[in-house]
Amino acid sequence: MTRTDIETEILRIFREGFEIDQPNPDDHLRDKHQFDSIDAIELLVAIEKYLGSELTQAEKKLAMEIRTLRQIFDYVEALAKKRQLFSEG
Amino acid sequence: MHRRVVITAASAITPIGHGRQDILHSLTHGKSGVKPLRDDELLTRYIHSRVFGTVDYPVLYDFKRLYRKTMGPVAYYACQVAKEVMEMAGLDNDFVVSGRLGVAFGSTHGSPTVQRSIYKSFFSGDRSEYTAIGAVDYLKSMVHTTAVNITKMFGITGRVISSSTACTTSSQSIGYGYESVKFGLQDAMLCGGADEYDTTTVAVFDNLLACSTAFNDTPQLTPRPFDVNRDGLVVGEGAGAVMLEEYEFAKKRGAPIMAEVIGFACNNNGGDLILPNLNGIMQTIRLGLADASIPADAVDLISAHATATKMGDVIEAQAIHGVYGDRPHVTALKSYMGHTMASCGVIETILLIYMIAEGLIAPTLNLDEVDERCAMIRHVRNPIAERIRIAAVQNFAFGGVNTSLLIKKFE
Repeated sequence: MTRTDIETEILRIFREGFEIDQPNPDDHLRDKHQFDSIDAIELLVAIEKYLGSELTQAEKKLAMEIRTLRQIFDYVEALAKKRQLFSEG
Repeated sequence: MHRRVVITAASAITPIGHGRQDILHSLTHGKSGVKPLRDDELLTRYIHSRVFGTVDYPVLYDFKRLYRKTMGPVAYYACQVAKEVMEMAGLDNDFVVSGRLGVAFGSTHGSPTVQRSIYKSFFSGDRSEYTAIGAVDYLKSMVHTTAVNITKMFGITGRVISSSTACTTSSQSIGYGYESVKFGLQDAMLCGGADEYDTTTVAVFDNLLACSTAFNDTPQLTPRPFDVNRDGLVVGEGAGAVMLEEYEFAKKRGAPIMAEVIGFACNNNGGDLILPNLNGIMQTIRLGLADASIPADAVDLISAHATATKMGDVIEAQAIHGVYGDRPHVTALKSYMGHTMASCGVIETILLIYMIAEGLIAPTLNLDEVDERCAMIRHVRNPIAERIRIAAVQNFAFGGVNTSLLIKKFE
């Protein structure tokens, strides 16, 4: 899985799951798109599915600091690296 | 402080139509909304009563995901009628978010559809069932889901009342909304109730032998309130909402006024949780009249609770006769759509408002031969064109809860 794969998948989840189309990577998700804690929890479930493994409670708590799409890309990339799923492409 | 309370908007989704025009068409054409019970692939195979008051037409929802994500089926119904009432009332947005507008809205038990999906995890050792419980399933299924999805959608910041007293849920919503405005706690209240398609309610009444089973092949012939051949109630689905406003406030902003709420009462039988209670019902009716400061003979029309159970209808007829005698017309609106549970009180109130405005009284359907034990009151058996000045809505619920609402033509 490459950075491009991750970005494509997260954008798909935002488009299909959250009806947020083509967000700017640096948009403040809550302020600009009303992305709230409920959405964050649902996003974590989608990320678990994408990675094919559960997130630990500590990993989930880290996600609560996320404010932008770019931070989500970074977060998923770090999780993928930890699980040895990531390749530089 | 006692202030006048008026109704400035109303909307309902019912088995006999959505909105005033459809509903009036059904009422004036004697059209029933009772249909065959649709399959839930769960309980329907065991249920003896094969009929249901069904919303069988599409309702076009246009809610953004921001709102949809916390809504189960019951909240869709609730938010749709609330949205229509908000549009109809045309309240200024500054007022809507001022804290002077509240919501009184309820359902029988939130969303059974969502609850059922949660319960699956109880009976499965599979972790995937546990993780399938959504982060928002509680918000979708909780008892006050209707009320707070409405507050969220419109940014309403006033008081929230979410009654959940089965068949008196939405008559309480209107009653407590009326009291909130009457006593100056709020200037307007959005009130109502909703219940989604749910077979557990049918199963409960079915097991109590209280459901209609003899008309499974001819659903439109049941329920039969006050008829000698009635054989029980028919469960239904639907939703209704009304906007209550303080009279001077409504007048000042030029709101169209549909009717006035002049009285409300609620009590409990103080004992058995199922059996209808003559003294309890008569006391509620009298308390309602006292609240409205009107004599019994001022009431022209009664919307009876009349679920078409063997005993309930007889006790209600006795109560009506005991307080009102045989002067007021009595109609049983559940004969058109079955018992829509949490929404029956508000739907019956809305139907009365329409009838008052039109100067017509819709008859009780399927009342072919009046049970002689119910014959002492003035049943409406054919459509009547008549000016109605004051009408009463009676509702009684499991748990021994009774309500009476008094609605007056606005003059």
